[in-house]
Amino acid sequence: MMPGSSLSDKLMKPGSRSVSARLMWMNVLVSGTVLVLAVIAFFSYDLISFRQNLIRNIETSAQIVGANSVSALLFDDPQSAATTLEALRNSPDVVNATLVASDGQVFAEYRRNGQTGSADPSLPEMTPGRVDQEWVKGRHVLLAHRIVFQGKTDGTVYIAAELTETGRRARQYLIIALAVLLICMMAGILIGSRVRKMVARPIGALAETARQVSRERDYSVRAEPHTDNGEIAVLIESFNEMLVQIQERDTALRGARDQLETRVQERTAALRAANRELEAFSYTVAHDLRGPLDAVQGMVYILEALDREKRDSDRGEILEQLQQATRNMTLLIDDLLNLSRASTTTMKREPVRLTDLAWQIAGDLNRSDPKRAVEFRIEKVPEIEADGGLMRVVLDNLIRNAWKYTSRHEHACIEFGVVRQRGETIFYVRDDGAGFDPKMNDQLFQPFRRLHSRSEFPGTGIGLATVQRILERHGGRIWAEGSVEKGATFWFTVRSGAAAVA
Amino acid sequence: MRGKAGARRHRWCLSGLLLAVAGVASADLSWQSALAQRPSRDEVQAAYLYNFGKFVRWPAGAARGPLTICVAAPDSFGHAISALTAGEQIDQRPLQVKTVDGAGGVGGCSILFIGAMEPKRVNELLAAAAGKPVLTVGDAPDFLARGGTIQFVEMEDHVRFSVNLDAANRGGLGMSSELLKVAVSVTGKPGTGGAR
Repeated sequence: MMPGSSLSDKLMKPGSRSVSARLMWMNVLVSGTVLVLAVIAFFSYDLISFRQNLIRNIETSAQIVGANSVSALLFDDPQSAATTLEALRNSPDVVNATLVASDGQVFAEYRRNGQTGSADPSLPEMTPGRVDQEWVKGRHVLLAHRIVFQGKTDGTVYIAAELTETGRRARQYLIIALAVLLICMMAGILIGSRVRKMVARPIGALAETARQVSRERDYSVRAEPHTDNGEIAVLIESFNEMLVQIQERDTALRGARDQLETRVQERTAALRAANRELEAFSYTVAHDLRGPLDAVQGMVYILEALDREKRDSDRGEILEQLQQATRNMTLLIDDLLNLSRASTTTMKREPVRLTDLAWQIAGDLNRSDPKRAVEFRIEKVPEIEADGGLMRVVLDNLIRNAWKYTSRHEHACIEFGVVRQRGETIFYVRDDGAGFDPKMNDQLFQPFRRLHSRSEFPGTGIGLATVQRILERHGGRIWAEGSVEKGATFWFTVRSGAAAVA
Repeated sequence: MRGKAGARRHRWCLSGLLLAVAGVASADLSWQSALAQRPSRDEVQAAYLYNFGKFVRWPAGAARGPLTICVAAPDSFGHAISALTAGEQIDQRPLQVKTVDGAGGVGGCSILFIGAMEPKRVNELLAAAAGKPVLTVGDAPDFLARGGTIQFVEMEDHVRFSVNLDAANRGGLGMSSELLKVAVSVTGKPGTGGAR
């Protein structure tokens, strides 16, 4: 049998050897033992003192008898001595008394049962020099008293007594002890019921609660708290605390399980969405690649036709268009590669001066189209820890976008700067160009999502997605503000020194 | 015979028994020696006389020093009392025995024993002792009537005695109740004498 099951077996049987019964028996046992010991002690003491008192009384009697017998001894008057001895009849314990003259002969004697003449032949000799002497044999005591008068020993008084009272006293003691024991037991039972209320009942209730918990696995029940501050109260409190802890753990376990399920569902949904996104992405990529490819096929077909007809008139324009188509393809592929690289390239952390990067990009742009009048306001921003190549891609995309969307304006201004907000360093790239519809804000960073037609502003629609991916890998984020024809501001943060996000 | 006198007899009896056991003397001899040692009347009376002294209280004014036992009796009694009292004391008073012939020797006596003699001499001696703290003890049949204090009486082969308290009172003597308890008869009224 397992120890656990035997424990529950014990818990299942409330009646077997309950605490209250044990306490009551303990009570009765203790009081009974104490009483018996006390009775023995008192009885022994009483017996001894009673015996001593008796002996002392008989001794006194012997002395009085001796003093009163002096003249009888000296003037040879046994009758007078017998009269004196007869006074001993008032002492119920005295069995017989003998007056022995100094010559060792019996002078007078007294017998309680009246038979005179049967002198005890075995009267012992007194130890020389002693006046009183006693011999105790069981319940019989023999006392001797030397009669000394005017410095001379005139005789000896022997008194034999029987301690009959002793047995009677023992019986009395026994009766009293039994009565007190009975009272003690009754008191014990009475006290036991009180103790049951104080001690046994709370423990019993605790056991019942434990049984319930063990049987029903219900950790929400609580033992009734005890009013005392004693160990029982501590026990109950501890038990309840234990139950609270078990319950908490139980709840936490259940919660964790539920949470895990929810998380799995969430992840599954996210994966499904990502999968769909990926499918859409592949579709868009294929579709966008398909456009220039169709154009190339068309141009090649036209070129073949021109070759067959031996015409050279439109050849240059077609080749130009062919080249444009392949350039578009290359651009798209480059952007895709950039996006891919932004996600997969190994990042290294190094000090990066964004201000310098911004100036380089601005210089490149000015050189590519010197006719445009664009004012660059580039603030000197603090150095950051980041991947230099990727940060160049970020700034290049953002500033190039600004350049592109201000192209319709005669005068434009492109700003790069930094603000500090709630301990966070926030960089921004601002332009006063075409802007965008704020309702489309959340679609800005999705790949291939273009808010303007390709004919209006060329582009692949991958740039901002790439920027977001890079900043996210740096532990930062990006968001935008803007409205149509009021320009746009792109805010971004780079968590300096943060762990790389794979 | 018992008491003081009996002790002696017993002692002899014991020694005789020892002799018998030792085989030195015959049983016949031991019996005879025991018989021979049965105390005489003189010896018993001498012992009683000595014991009387233990139960009598002499007045405070009486002479201290040795307790003098005066004997006006045949020499046999004088020898008996002398042998008995040699070196003994009563109330830390050493005992001395004096033989008295006439009334003139009564002075200084504490106890006066008047043996069997002609009544005239008895009267003389009693008269000499009258009113004095002298315990008079006599053997004469009418000794108390003549004014004596204690008179020996022969009863059933035993020596007993009677007491005249009036005589004792006249002499200022106190008689112990213990003594009166064993007396054959007590005449007169108890007095207040005998303050020690």
